[in-house]
Amino acid sequence: MINVSNLSVRLGGRPVLHGVSLEARPGALTAIVGPNGCGKTTTLKAISGELAPAGGTIRINGRDLRGLKPWELASMRGVLPQSTVISFPFTVREVVRLGLAAGANADAALHDRIAAEALEAVDLGGFAGRFYQELSGGEQQRVQLARVLCQISEPVTDGEPRYLLLDEPVSSLDIRHQLGIMQLARNFCERGGGVVAVMHDLNLTAMFADHMVMMKAGKVRASGAPAEVLTDETMEAVFGCRMRVGVAPPAPVPFVLPQTASL
Amino acid sequence: MPRSEALGRGMRLTGLAADIRSEWRAGNRARLARLVVVALAAVAIATFVGSIMTGAADASLANVWRWLIGEADQALSIRDRIIILDIRLPRAVLGMLVGASLAVSGVVMQGLFRNPLADPGLVGVSSGASLGAVLLIVLGTATFGPLFALFGFYALPVAAFFGGLVTTLLLYRIATRGGQTSIATLLLAGIALGALTGAVTGVLVFMADDKQLRDLTFWGLGSLAGANWTKILASAPIILLSLAVTPFLARGLNAITLGEAAAFHMGIPVQRLKNVAIVSVAAATGASVAVSGGIGFVGIVVPHLLRLVIGPDHRYLLPASALLGGTLLILADMIARTIVSPAELPIGIVTAFIGAPFFLWILLRGRSNMGL
Ligand SMILES: Nc1ncnc2c1ncn2[C@@H]1O[C@H](COP(=O)(O)OP(=O)(O)OP(=O)(O)O)[C@@H](O)[C@H]1O
Ligand SMILES: [Mg+2]
Repeated sequence: MINVSNLSVRLGGRPVLHGVSLEARPGALTAIVGPNGCGKTTTLKAISGELAPAGGTIRINGRDLRGLKPWELASMRGVLPQSTVISFPFTVREVVRLGLAAGANADAALHDRIAAEALEAVDLGGFAGRFYQELSGGEQQRVQLARVLCQISEPVTDGEPRYLLLDEPVSSLDIRHQLGIMQLARNFCERGGGVVAVMHDLNLTAMFADHMVMMKAGKVRASGAPAEVLTDETMEAVFGCRMRVGVAPPAPVPFVLPQTASL
Repeated sequence: MPRSEALGRGMRLTGLAADIRSEWRAGNRARLARLVVVALAAVAIATFVGSIMTGAADASLANVWRWLIGEADQALSIRDRIIILDIRLPRAVLGMLVGASLAVSGVVMQGLFRNPLADPGLVGVSSGASLGAVLLIVLGTATFGPLFALFGFYALPVAAFFGGLVTTLLLYRIATRGGQTSIATLLLAGIALGALTGAVTGVLVFMADDKQLRDLTFWGLGSLAGANWTKILASAPIILLSLAVTPFLARGLNAITLGEAAAFHMGIPVQRLKNVAIVSVAAATGASVAVSGGIGFVGIVVPHLLRLVIGPDHRYLLPASALLGGTLLILADMIARTIVSPAELPIGIVTAFIGAPFFLWILLRGRSNMGL
């Protein structure tokens, strides 16, 4: 369980989060949604341990974040940042393998298998030898996800759940890969792990999330099951635009919902 | 590739070279890299021995060997013995040490700043180190008496180390914000620091006496000509120690390619990595500058060449750079002492002649990859 209570964060001397509290259970996909600049990434960074909070506490599996060393954290959660640029010409295989811990008893064959499986999982089977810098944006995003999957290859170890913290994991993916990656996250949850994902696509969120946290201006405005959170009222209050939940547009306008996909 | 085909291509293609070619074709950079490290080690040893054999006095390998194993005491004349033991050997050892240290400092600095142009020579760390050394030479025992008393002949490398350390920390503070380094700021700060160092050195030149002046000229150009066992004793422990920690930085430097935040996510203690990297760069650069002055371009050319062949994985890049850096510096020194013989060029001139055009070529080829 990830437990965030009364979290506040200041960035550049300005308060960005004001008393955010949320819970992410193992076995559940928790989605954080909200307008640009409302503090989703900041919340995720605080949970990852990358940002020191100005106030409040964060616990992972009951342990206070402040007492954990970087390598302990790395064994409990993997983090997919909103974007990643790399500075040297690594190949896809090399980037993905960075996620594997360099234990003294590193088993080369096992590592090769985990890396290959991770690439397969994000549908980049034939890409191992390509240069990362020569991939498209969506392909790069999937390589980074494969790297995270290498780091957290098992949803549960030693009886303790592990977590994926994903910042807009599908933002630059086509619809088929959006569905594929969200399904991957779901499977991770079903096998006992926990996922916290920052999302912008509300349809995908409604389709895959077990728990939704809706933020506005550094505060949590609503949280609960998607059906409770996604209402006409919250949409207007949080995003400032009046729209109707669950209403199809009038006939001549085509619309495509991910829910109708069969893969 | 079958062995016979490899041999058919000429005597130079030994089995190792053939293996390297086939791994290159297969695109397997990890195995390729390991083979390249082995090959470079062999080349380094050959170059080292070759440089001891080369020069005005003629000492054949067979004779040196016979003398070394005590088989024939008369195999070498006393004069040859002195030339080999007290002149060429220290020079080759120093060349190897300094070359390795310059190349590895380049790799570590480039990894830390996440840019292939970040070289201690280019961004002013060497200037800072030589400023430390120059201050010590000119202000000398009067001001730094306690330092001499405390460190003996380590005083000069230690002064250069502090010069380099202060500069590196300053550069880091100036060029890196929130885990992101601006290479433009880094290079410009390097220019400013270089100018400042030059100005201070200029002032010191006015204060210097004749002997100090000769020493100062030496810093400007860089040379292995003064190599002796005392200098090796003064610099080798510092250089070897800072080289010895770098393998422990390799995984961290790999991870930090994805940014400081991503490295932290992968379990790297980023702050500690940066501290160790900065201190080791400052120590290696300081010790090198103290014994051989400012020798440019090794730290940028060597890692760049190797990245083209074996890729940017620091686990292989670090040892390969150490070996190639040492080899190239010994070769440059051989050029320096033979090309205008019996006189001798400062080695810094040779490395600049080779390195500067190469550097321009790097810029021509891949400006977009340099973050410029
Ligand atoms: N380094 C920083 N210094 C100062 N303010 C910052 C910094 N990073 C972010 N902010 C501010 O903090 C607020 C929250 O930013 P955050 O990145 O968490 O937004 P977000 O919800 O992830 O937005 P998006 O949907 O655009 O990704 C924004 O107003 C942003 O301008
Ligand atoms: Mg964001």
